[in-house]
Amino acid sequence: MNSIIVLLRKDFSILLKDRASIMLTFCVPFVLIYLFGQIYHVNSSDPGPSGIPVAVVNQSDNPAAERLVNALKEESAFKILTKYVNDDKTTRPLTEDDLRPMMARDDFRFALVIPKDLIRTDHIGLHLRTYTNPRNEIESQTFNGILQKTIFSRVPQLIGESLQARARSYLGDVKLDEFNTNMAHTIATTWGGDEETIKRHMSEGQLRILNGDLNAANTTAAGTERSSDALSQIVKIENTQVAGVGLKSPMATMLVGGWAMQFLLFALTASATALFREKEHGIFQRVLAAPVSRGDILWSKFLYGICLGLIQLIILFFAGHVLYGIEIGAQLPLLVLVCVFAAAACTSFGMLIAAIAPTPESARGISTFVILLMCAVGGAWFPVSFMPDFIQRFSRLTLVYWSMEGFSQVLWSHDTLLQLLPTLGYLTLITGIVMAFSVWRFRKGRLFD
Amino acid sequence: MTATPPLLSANGVVKRYGSLTALDGVSLDIAPGEFFGLLGPNGAGKSTFMSLVAGFRPLDGGTLTVAGESVSGSASARTALGLVPQHIALYVDLTAETNLRIFGELYGLRGKELRERIDQALEAVQLADRRADVVKTFSGGMQRRLNLAAALLHRPKLLLCDEPTVGVDPQSRNAIFDLLQELNRGGLTVIYSTHYMEEATRLCSKIGIIDHGKILAQGSIDELLDQLPFEEEIRFPASDATNVLLAQLGGHGDVETVDGVHRFRPKGGYPMSSFYLLTESHSLPQKLFTSQRPSLEALFLQLTGRTLRE
Repeated sequence: MNSIIVLLRKDFSILLKDRASIMLTFCVPFVLIYLFGQIYHVNSSDPGPSGIPVAVVNQSDNPAAERLVNALKEESAFKILTKYVNDDKTTRPLTEDDLRPMMARDDFRFALVIPKDLIRTDHIGLHLRTYTNPRNEIESQTFNGILQKTIFSRVPQLIGESLQARARSYLGDVKLDEFNTNMAHTIATTWGGDEETIKRHMSEGQLRILNGDLNAANTTAAGTERSSDALSQIVKIENTQVAGVGLKSPMATMLVGGWAMQFLLFALTASATALFREKEHGIFQRVLAAPVSRGDILWSKFLYGICLGLIQLIILFFAGHVLYGIEIGAQLPLLVLVCVFAAAACTSFGMLIAAIAPTPESARGISTFVILLMCAVGGAWFPVSFMPDFIQRFSRLTLVYWSMEGFSQVLWSHDTLLQLLPTLGYLTLITGIVMAFSVWRFRKGRLFD
Repeated sequence: MTATPPLLSANGVVKRYGSLTALDGVSLDIAPGEFFGLLGPNGAGKSTFMSLVAGFRPLDGGTLTVAGESVSGSASARTALGLVPQHIALYVDLTAETNLRIFGELYGLRGKELRERIDQALEAVQLADRRADVVKTFSGGMQRRLNLAAALLHRPKLLLCDEPTVGVDPQSRNAIFDLLQELNRGGLTVIYSTHYMEEATRLCSKIGIIDHGKILAQGSIDELLDQLPFEEEIRFPASDATNVLLAQLGGHGDVETVDGVHRFRPKGGYPMSSFYLLTESHSLPQKLFTSQRPSLEALFLQLTGRTLRE
């Protein structure tokens, strides 16, 4: 045990002398966590994307088209461009002909054309054209999704107008007016409200009447009462969150654990592969000539990895606390416990790489591949539930999955120690199996020769 | 009168690496206070023998004891010896003092005693003024000296020096030699492996000649040289005139030419007066000829048919 402590202290002495390693182990992850947080809009009131440049060409005389443009301008996810800037800095409205060359210059990757027949009479719905040059499928889906959300949530009356236009085309002006008058009368008689106001709203395409909100005070100018329009609430989902309720920074709480695991795996694998350097320098010969066993060397490396990993994880969660308000407080003891088990599992992985790789170069190659694979499959990058069934089953064999599960149980669900025990058990099992194999390989291999 | 038991005793030691037999029945005894040289070319088995004595490789056959205890798995046997590896086995990112503290602590030294040992070791290798400097800033010779100091902290009974002067400048080499001789005079037993005959001749009181994993001969330098069938070696420069002489000497002993110098080792019983009569008959001046005692190189050649550097 004495030798193990001496060797452990030695490793920390070397670490403290190596500024580059300290930077890579502690500071770089801190900075990256900050950057990732910004990329994912952690702690933003609207965690989605923002400022996506979208060119809008409005060819319609319909006032509804102008309302749509204004609604799009209010959407923070978009940065709406409607003007073309000439060489002399003067501007003019964008035309459809401007779009392709500007997209080719990458001025923007999405454009919306509102044609003259925005609201058509031959079918129900809005008529819009888009031009896209998406760099990936997610970007394209994001644009389409936000565009539809904006229409339904900010200018739902456009759909109502479309319904009225289609009905006018089908019934004619007289019969539609008769229909609206009769409907308004029936509604006012049945539920109350001002019959004329109800009829006017129906004519304008506002469907607030279906929402049962007939308070005259709320029935003012069109387009200012989005929430009362029924179309914006066609699907009403009542959500009850069963865990993570009241967390200041739920998104950061979910994400930081994954990032931390990735950094930890890289750091601890690099630490374990230092065994190769000590072999090359002949240090094992000197150490093993002393009353020190091979086991002492391996256990000192294992303990060093756990200590280093624990420190790194705590620093990273502290960074999450400082930067994004992750709540650690009362959960600190259990968080430290999970960190110890996660660090032990990561260290055992590093030892495995050192045990099976013939050279430091191959160790780096193997570890990079396996770490990225484990992080992807284990849920460090995106939720495991997104993955196919067989990958979900495989992910449960990874230390990343169980470490993430532990962090989530502590910081998200606020589980008790008893509830945490199965997760810690799985981590211990993984650590034990991997370490046993690694030690066997070290004994069979030539690391200490 | 009872004979002093050997400090190190090897009996039929065998070590194999797969199909290669690195040590093949090595047997030797090293008495306390001896400066034993293990002389042999690269790949002869010197480092393997050192690693077995140091206890970090298992034997495949035979027995090996230090101070009466088996080296494998015996903490006290390991404490009795210090190893100066062929490599600079130091943490080069740490200071000289920190290195010595780590290696001292591995031998159980602590506190004041450890500090005193570190001071003494640094003084001994003339690095006291560089104690706080990082090892990677040292010259190769300084690193070699520190490499030696690290093996002395726990005051071993037996010091294993595995080619400790590889790549060292003459000044540091002499400093290392002086220190080793001083330590040996103080009672420290030293095993010194080398492929340099000059080092073995200068330092060692007893030498074992090893090749292909076998000890070919062992004893003091006199005892070894007595095994040669000639007592002296006559050297003279190669030239047209001496080449004629050389052709006539072939039947009276071994002849060899190295680096433009002829070497003649007369057979036992061949009178030197006959040799000098022959030189006079060729009108060769006496100053061309030097006579000297044969070297270990000659013995190695005699034993193996090869030179040490082949």
